[in-house]
Amino acid sequence: MSRRELDLEGALADLGAALRFPPTPDLAAAVTARLEQEPPPAPARPRPWLAGWRRLAVAGLVAVLLAAAVLVASPGTREAVARRLGLRGIGVELGGPPPPTVTTTPGGRLDLGLGQRVTLEEARRRTGFPVLVPGAAGFQQPDAVFVDPAVPGGGRVDLVYRARPGLPASSFTDAGLLITEFRGQPDPGFLKKIVVAGLVQEVTVGGQPGYFFSGEPHFFSYQGADGQFREERTRLAGNTLVWQRGELTLRLEGEVSQAEAVRIAESMR
Amino acid sequence: MECENESVEGRPLDEQELVEQARGGDARAYEVLVRNYQDLAFRTAYVIAGGSADAEDAAQEGFVKAWYALPRFRAGAPFRPWLLAIVANEARNRRRSGRRQDDLALRVAEDRPSGDAAPSPEAAALATEQRSQLLAAVGRLAEADRQVIACRYFLELSEAEMAAALGCRRGTVKSRLSRALDRLRAAMIEQGGGPLPMTRLQGGDR
Repeated sequence: MSRRELDLEGALADLGAALRFPPTPDLAAAVTARLEQEPPPAPARPRPWLAGWRRLAVAGLVAVLLAAAVLVASPGTREAVARRLGLRGIGVELGGPPPPTVTTTPGGRLDLGLGQRVTLEEARRRTGFPVLVPGAAGFQQPDAVFVDPAVPGGGRVDLVYRARPGLPASSFTDAGLLITEFRGQPDPGFLKKIVVAGLVQEVTVGGQPGYFFSGEPHFFSYQGADGQFREERTRLAGNTLVWQRGELTLRLEGEVSQAEAVRIAESMR
Repeated sequence: MECENESVEGRPLDEQELVEQARGGDARAYEVLVRNYQDLAFRTAYVIAGGSADAEDAAQEGFVKAWYALPRFRAGAPFRPWLLAIVANEARNRRRSGRRQDDLALRVAEDRPSGDAAPSPEAAALATEQRSQLLAAVGRLAEADRQVIACRYFLELSEAEMAAALGCRRGTVKSRLSRALDRLRAAMIEQGGGPLPMTRLQGGDR
């Protein structure tokens, strides 16, 4: 390594030590004041929660997978998950090299939301499978329903619940709860992978297998309607339960505990 | 890059206790945590969002969301990367909103912050000039390169923290940083020679 190469990193470190950032505001006071004002968990500022959600959920790509890790999962978890894949339409993979990037649409613009916003009834008419809704109290009426009929297997439906006391806004979706339903394709080519940090828990939902991801945020990536994975559209996801009900693969994301997630999941009819 | 084992500098025990108390709903304990990390959170948000107002907003929102997410925080896990992932995510959302940012409008201090042997006024002026040039070159890099360099050298984040802040996988961080350094090096050379021996100025070998 030449002296100049050595020097660049040294020079950057030296620069870092001499840098002046703008003064840090008194966040501790501001945050404490906000927490006192809003004891029940609720989104802090009035803002268009749904718009925020859609912006985040960028790709109207066919949602599907959980992917990629911030940190490496423990060896025990890694083995457990590697041994036992097998939710239709969702693959689980831990570690490994970064996924190859798939180019986005020509022009590079991805402005796909979750699909079209519709009523629950309309969603039921337009999908090729029976749309399930939680029977648990407080979840019987989603605040918004989206449908994307282009997803293979009969389309995809998203149920969105606004954050409210007792159902805090996810830092990743802005929503209180997001439930995604689609008919998982057995074809492995359709699968996406999950590389997980934090915890992966095998769970049983109504007698069928599922996984609960928690702890460190993980990445979630979407598969396009054309079957191409859009690796670069990964987004961070919070606690997530993924499970199977017959042909349907379901995904529930929100700041909920495993027990609560399973309770809501099992109530779906 | 040896920045992964930096956890043992006195704060871990205190921090774990604070996190535990905060998870139990102790807002005072959380306030202490916020105070401990507000510089880091604000600066990380600043690097990503590109402006003070957005950075303040993102950091504040990130701390509030982290509070509500705390019950789901895995006990014993490192708090910093977890917090940074949330704050950085907020910062990215604000950046995406498309406003014009004053990208990394940082200033180089005129004086050395550390107590090194006082350089001559000429050497000090030269060092400041060279730092400013380097900072300007960093500022001209593509956003992804600028951010990874800033996270490493200006914020001094560990690899895990960089991955969290940049929203990429840990295995990607090193190669991303190395490519960014290559481009910075090329830009500096193209710009007119070797402006880099500043680290030796202090030694007075000139």
